[in-house]
Amino acid sequence: MNISFNLNGSATNLEVAPGESLLQALRASRVFSVKLGCETGDCGSCTVLLDGQPVNSCMVVAARVNGSHVTTMEGLLGDDLMIRLQTELVEHGAVQCGYCIPGLLISLYALVKQGPSCGGEIDEEVIRHALTGNLCRCTGYVKPVEAARAVVAAMEVPK
Amino acid sequence: MWNLQEYRIASSPAEAVALMRKGPGKGAYIAGGTDMLLEHPACDFVVDVNNAGIGDIARTPGGDLFLGAAATLQGLVDNNFVREFAGGAISKSASQCGNRPVRSTATVGGNLCNALPSADMAPVLLALDATCYIADEDCQESLPLTDFFVGPRMTVLEDRLLVGVALPGECAGWRCAAHKLTRTAEDISLVQVAVSLGMDDGKIQEARIALGAVSPVPMRAVLAETMLAGQEITAVTPDVLRDVATIAAGECDPLDDHRASAEYRRDMVNVLTRRLITRILTDDGDNMEGGAA
Ligand SMILES: Cc1cc2nc3c(=O)[nH]c(=O)nc-3n(C[C@H](O)[C@H](O)[C@H](O)COP(=O)(O)OP(=O)(O)OC[C@H]3O[C@@H](n4cnc5c(N)ncnc54)[C@H](O)[C@@H]3O)c2cc1C
Ligand code: FES
Ligand code: FES
Repeated sequence: MNISFNLNGSATNLEVAPGESLLQALRASRVFSVKLGCETGDCGSCTVLLDGQPVNSCMVVAARVNGSHVTTMEGLLGDDLMIRLQTELVEHGAVQCGYCIPGLLISLYALVKQGPSCGGEIDEEVIRHALTGNLCRCTGYVKPVEAARAVVAAMEVPK
Repeated sequence: MWNLQEYRIASSPAEAVALMRKGPGKGAYIAGGTDMLLEHPACDFVVDVNNAGIGDIARTPGGDLFLGAAATLQGLVDNNFVREFAGGAISKSASQCGNRPVRSTATVGGNLCNALPSADMAPVLLALDATCYIADEDCQESLPLTDFFVGPRMTVLEDRLLVGVALPGECAGWRCAAHKLTRTAEDISLVQVAVSLGMDDGKIQEARIALGAVSPVPMRAVLAETMLAGQEITAVTPDVLRDVATIAAGECDPLDDHRASAEYRRDMVNVLTRRLITRILTDDGDNMEGGAA
């Protein structure tokens, strides 16, 4: 079946099988920032934005995104907020093998863009809650959180 | 890859049921797909219900809270009506389901229709007297959530569609607290308990105690509830609480499995029931607010 959607700002048509996941469809289209880790919705290395919300692309049927906006790391390169997040992750030594990083960045990007649902501050608890779906086997769960706090501290938090 | 022949998209509840019945072969509804993509159940086609107009969250003029079946768990976390209802208990339970990206697509309807004994949205909704709305091709039926589950992974639906659940306006002011006991934050619940109390005039007017993961279907501990209803708050002494919690633990029917023994699960129903009632009766309500991000 054919689906058309907006991928990273460009109108895109793809031929997909009815049971194919968005992860499989994106990688088949050479969108390689989207990583296959577990395919069970646990690791977050396949995280993308679907209409602005972070989702595990392995847990979304490709057919469903017909008419939607999908954003991956490729579409956020050069974005101001993304550059700040990337810089702080590197500064804080939060990047080792890099496998989890695109998914982690997408989750952090969505958090900082949207702010917490209660409208309060993006504090450590909120950051940790937002990263519950992103596993990192290399650096663990201190450095990415510190990096996110640095980004938040350096900017006006959207209310 | 999941071996599907066709992906159908419904634009109304009636169309969803019609597409399901049209055949050929075996069909299944799909909402968020977070259970379906994990399990790849054998079927020929799926009917996507995300555009069927059943995703809204609304407060009716009478004060009832309606949660459309295709409302996402993150939607329940974020929505102000849900955050205000019964101290935000439903938002809080939703915020503890899965992880952030899962909650963006996982729906409340999918959680209930999958009908696992451990479905995390069931206890809090049972404790707030939820009613289910079910669509057939040309009619709707409603029934209490207590009658919706008929066994592990079985509901009354057959090939009909869950449209949503409604919580009566009277429950909006009830004090509700729930606890999900797990080995790790990401794991399936070992035990869940949700308690809600409607209090007025220094009395517990209404009491609900709902249990998850400790019987073939999510359930209410009705005997224990009866012991609380009508009591003066000051009459709920530690002895009374111990009796109520012991009765609740006696009402469930847990399994032994690799996660926990039946005995442990039953003990935890006892402990959590006691703690949650105490928390509701002694709290000023502040730390029962709905979840974080
Ligand atoms: C990593 C991960 C963590 C998870 N953690 C939790 C957790 O902590 N707690 C928990 O309870 N669950 C958890 N789940 C399971 C799952 O995410 C939830 O049960 C979710 O709410 C299911 O909703 P869905 O919309 O994705 O369902 P789907 O997969 O779309 O559907 C589930 C079932 O419901 C049926 N269905 C869906 N909508 C309807 C409808 N409107 N009418 C009739 N039938 C319908 C489908 O046919 C299917 O049988 C987790 C899943 C993953 C992948
Ligand atoms: S590959 Fe999707 S969450 Fe792990
Ligand atoms: S940097 Fe290697 S998994 Fe996170």
